[in-house]
Amino acid sequence: MIRAYRACRPPLAGGLPFLRRCTTGRVVLCALCLLVGATSRALAQDEAAARGERLYAKYCSNCHGDDLQNNSGVAFDLRRLKADEHARFVNSVLHGKNAMPSWQGVLAPAQLDDLWTYIRAHGYEQ
Amino acid sequence: MKSVFYAALLVAAYPFSAFGQTASDLLNAADTPQSVLTYGISYSQQRFSPLTQINRQTVKRLVPAWSYSMNNNTGEESQPLVYNGVIYITSQNKTVAVDALTGKEIWNTPVDYPPDTTRVVCCGIVNRGAAIYEGKLFRTTLDARVIALDMKTGKQIWSVKSGDAKDGIAMTSAPLIADGVLITGMAGAEYGSRGYVEGYDPNDGKRLWRHYTVPRPGEPGADSWPDHAANASGGSSWTTGSFDPELDLVYWGIGNPAPWNALLRRGDDLYTNSILALRPKTGEMAWYFQTSPNDPFDHDNITSIILADLTINGKPAKVLLQAGRNGFYYVLDRKSGQLIAANPYVKVTWATGVDKETGKPEWTETTKKAIAYTEEIQTWPHITGGTNWYPSSFDPRTATAYVNTTDYGMKYQPDPIDEIKNLKPGDSYRAVKISPIFNADGMRGHLRAIDPLTGKSKWAIPFKSPNWAGTLVTAGGLVFTGELTGEFIAVDSDTGKILWQFQTPSGIIGQPVTWEHDGKQYVTVTSGTGGVYVLKTPDPNLAHVPPGGTLWTFKLIDE
Repeated sequence: MIRAYRACRPPLAGGLPFLRRCTTGRVVLCALCLLVGATSRALAQDEAAARGERLYAKYCSNCHGDDLQNNSGVAFDLRRLKADEHARFVNSVLHGKNAMPSWQGVLAPAQLDDLWTYIRAHGYEQ
Repeated sequence: MKSVFYAALLVAAYPFSAFGQTASDLLNAADTPQSVLTYGISYSQQRFSPLTQINRQTVKRLVPAWSYSMNNNTGEESQPLVYNGVIYITSQNKTVAVDALTGKEIWNTPVDYPPDTTRVVCCGIVNRGAAIYEGKLFRTTLDARVIALDMKTGKQIWSVKSGDAKDGIAMTSAPLIADGVLITGMAGAEYGSRGYVEGYDPNDGKRLWRHYTVPRPGEPGADSWPDHAANASGGSSWTTGSFDPELDLVYWGIGNPAPWNALLRRGDDLYTNSILALRPKTGEMAWYFQTSPNDPFDHDNITSIILADLTINGKPAKVLLQAGRNGFYYVLDRKSGQLIAANPYVKVTWATGVDKETGKPEWTETTKKAIAYTEEIQTWPHITGGTNWYPSSFDPRTATAYVNTTDYGMKYQPDPIDEIKNLKPGDSYRAVKISPIFNADGMRGHLRAIDPLTGKSKWAIPFKSPNWAGTLVTAGGLVFTGELTGEFIAVDSDTGKILWQFQTPSGIIGQPVTWEHDGKQYVTVTSGTGGVYVLKTPDPNLAHVPPGGTLWTFKLIDE
């Protein structure tokens, strides 16, 4: 399922100060640059989340629920992870927690980033 | 001196009573309803009890006698065994013996396994029960070991490694003792393992035989796979078979081919999705019957196999009954494996019927597409099946089967070939996109009273969440089962009316049993949510069902 990740993603920070640095004659060009930059960044986010979604379905959904929808209480509801809990996420995945095995040596750091992007796109708290 | 004499007399009179049950106890399990000696309650796995004290009239007086904490949060699917006043029960992390009358723990033996083990556990971190024989208790472990414990002390007697997580193998099922051989299956088709059923010597754990369920080149069935089955995988055996001592045949349900995605495995893929009739002493196959050849839908044929004697066209027939995961209710001649009947018991759209002569399903166009193309299709039943691992029961007096069914379909789309061409054991062997199609009425499951020969329901009770528990039927006219929301229920076996219920602390995914002590009937069941439906399927009805395993025993309160 293709998801509208951009709709869930927080607005990009830093856009307005960048615009303020533009001179009047360059506003149009700057705006265009900003748009292209933002779009490519958003696209990269989308691609990472899509990769994360596939990884999730393969390695995580057995216990954490299809499409992150977890109603069991048996495993942690990953949508509860907050933006500042990246380290907690990585630690649990690499070292295991409770009944969860360690995925060290199975999931590469870049794949962990993709998973994190996917999970955060669906977090309860952005 | 006198007491020593009496003690000696007792030991001589009951050589095994203190130590565990014998082969003849096992053969007579159906006629000794005081105990629960084997998975399925008897070798026929009818899960029928002749006990009548708890019945349609008295069930309103059924109350808890005691409960016991399993100290486990991952789900309780185990069937209790009851012998000589002791209940033996397993969990993924322990085996325990509990005083059947008081609920007091007698012994508790933890099960330890390497933390990486659960990487290849697809469908719930669970265990489904034990076998007991001549003073020993036998069980399997998630890291694919078969172990024997002393029934008296819980001390380990032997432990044998059967398979390895790196090959995608885990074990969750209860072993079966048949003709003096300990027989067990394995799980792992979702991780590309090659399935097998095994026989062990219960005395020392020596492996006597291994029967692979998918062939290699040159072996029977190899030509039903691409490349003569050089890399064939799947065919796990993750539930417990039944046994006909007279025919000397063990009947074992064999699971799905791997991966689910069928694009690269055209052919029947023998002996996946089959019932195998095996000789318990040697593992030799007498016959097989395949329910879903070339299956793309994970219609894993591991649902319970019940042995029964029916009257068909006025003649007695020794049959085998199975509510197939593919949605058809199968009746086979259990001597020959010949098909007698196969009719849908839930909504089925993947096949229009089953050919009586060949036993092969007649595929619909959507199934043909699902096997050959990556186009999305819709089909019924869902991969969960018309039913799943949780066993059904059978009342021989009325020839009625009591089955918890799942009643929904799915959107299904195979991933492209690139996703499956380089898979190796231990990888995820699904490679399909699936989303459920639920009914508009919001009911995802039923408890059904089914006529095996027609597949038709005599009655059906709907449930918002499908029941993921076994059923038990008694001569008291009651069917016991549990709900994922925790209610343990007793249903009138004739009408389908819920006569009694008790709210347990978590969802029920266990297997109820009944037994008798000093003329009093008891019912025992586990509570503790988990299992593949609860873990994977979004279900708002389960939002407030906490995990936590407990074992419960009920009895009638005095009038």
